Amino acid sequence: MKKIILITVIILFASCQEEGILTRDREEVIVNPTAELKYFGTFIPTSGITVTGEAKIYLENNQYKVQLENFSVSGGPDLKVYLSKSASPNEFLNLGNLTSQTVYPIPASVTVSEYSHVLIHCQQYNHLFAIAPLTQN
Amino acid sequence: MKKIISFLIFLLFVNKITAQGCSDAGICSVNKGFVTDSLQLKNTIEFSSIYSLGEADVQYLSHYISYTKRFNERFAFSSKVTLSTADGSFGTRTQFGDAFLIGNYNFKEKNNKQWSALLGLKFPFTASNLKINGYSLPMDYQSSLGTIDIFLGSSLHYKRWDFNATVQIPVINLNKNSYFKEFGGTDEFPSTNLFERKPDALFRATYSIKSPNSKFTFKPNVLFIYHLGEDSFENIFGQRETINGSEGLTLNGNLITTYTINKQNSIELSVAAPFVVRDVRPDGLTRSFVLGLQYQYSF
Repeated sequence: MKKIILITVIILFASCQEEGILTRDREEVIVNPTAELKYFGTFIPTSGITVTGEAKIYLENNQYKVQLENFSVSGGPDLKVYLSKSASPNEFLNLGNLTSQTVYPIPASVTVSEYSHVLIHCQQYNHLFAIAPLTQN
Repeated sequence: MKKIISFLIFLLFVNKITAQGCSDAGICSVNKGFVTDSLQLKNTIEFSSIYSLGEADVQYLSHYISYTKRFNERFAFSSKVTLSTADGSFGTRTQFGDAFLIGNYNFKEKNNKQWSALLGLKFPFTASNLKINGYSLPMDYQSSLGTIDIFLGSSLHYKRWDFNATVQIPVINLNKNSYFKEFGGTDEFPSTNLFERKPDALFRATYSIKSPNSKFTFKPNVLFIYHLGEDSFENIFGQRETINGSEGLTLNGNLITTYTINKQNSIELSVAAPFVVRDVRPDGLTRSFVLGLQYQYSF
């Protein structure tokens, strides 16, 4: 009986993960060198966070894209890239998980001029990591 | 009775199995450990492995281990831990699901009728925000609903019939799922970012048939689950949106066959499938076919 319990406990603790078609590294989204730079800002960390780099918003073929340049930030469990109407995550557009991707397309329905900041925000623990106030080019 | 069994088997195997099913380790099996023929043995340990099919190309292999203690002929207590592996286009993800603590009280039998009451809690091991390679996963790939739930139920045993009614109410929402259809690369799963789910109400009717030598017991049963409201999620603009079609009825057919090896040991095989479904199933409770094997040891 003890052996059965031991084997079961080992099986229970054997946790794992494996990538699938939809979670393999996707083709990198890029900004064409001919794209027009519309807004830019440098990231400022919040308390206890380290961040470097800039957020830039380009317009390319009527499609706005946020690009993070020379960017690095302290690790977090559930970091998101937000386009926000203020320096805090109250009214925002969630552009998705912060991944190895550096370019985040903005949906065509969004009026980009209404947004003033790019934020790096940990959604799971509701903790703001970094703020980039945007300046019009 | 033969007609009822034939009808259930017909529904299980002939109907189109593409729909909303049951959580294999939630409300559907919450009163299971208390159903026993032997009250002399005070302790029971169960090991169970369940294979099931879900939405799109998702397949599941789930396990649970449970321990039931019968303190006397009235009161019993059960605890259970679940582990689940989901496999599909998003990849394979294995993780602990939930811990269950459930108490059951049997009232005194009167005129062949025995009532019992059940109170239980479910605690999630995750915030339902498991990822693979940094990509958020739909609820279908999460091992838990990410909520602390309370179960309130009652059962009636009358001759060969068992009737159970239970409600599962999420009391604390710890769900931090961050899946967006917009970023998922597929349209097969709805957005469930910061998902909030409504309670479920269950009704089950079971008929037990024993073989002449009492070695085999067949328990065909039907399981009605009503999802009591529309679930919701937070969209890409940070605004809460209800998910239309997530409220409604699921009707499952289930056939359980138990083989009693001896007084202490038994094996159980369970086959289940839904045949009435909700329009949308954002919570990932999308089992379209379930095959479970369980070993029970009492001492």
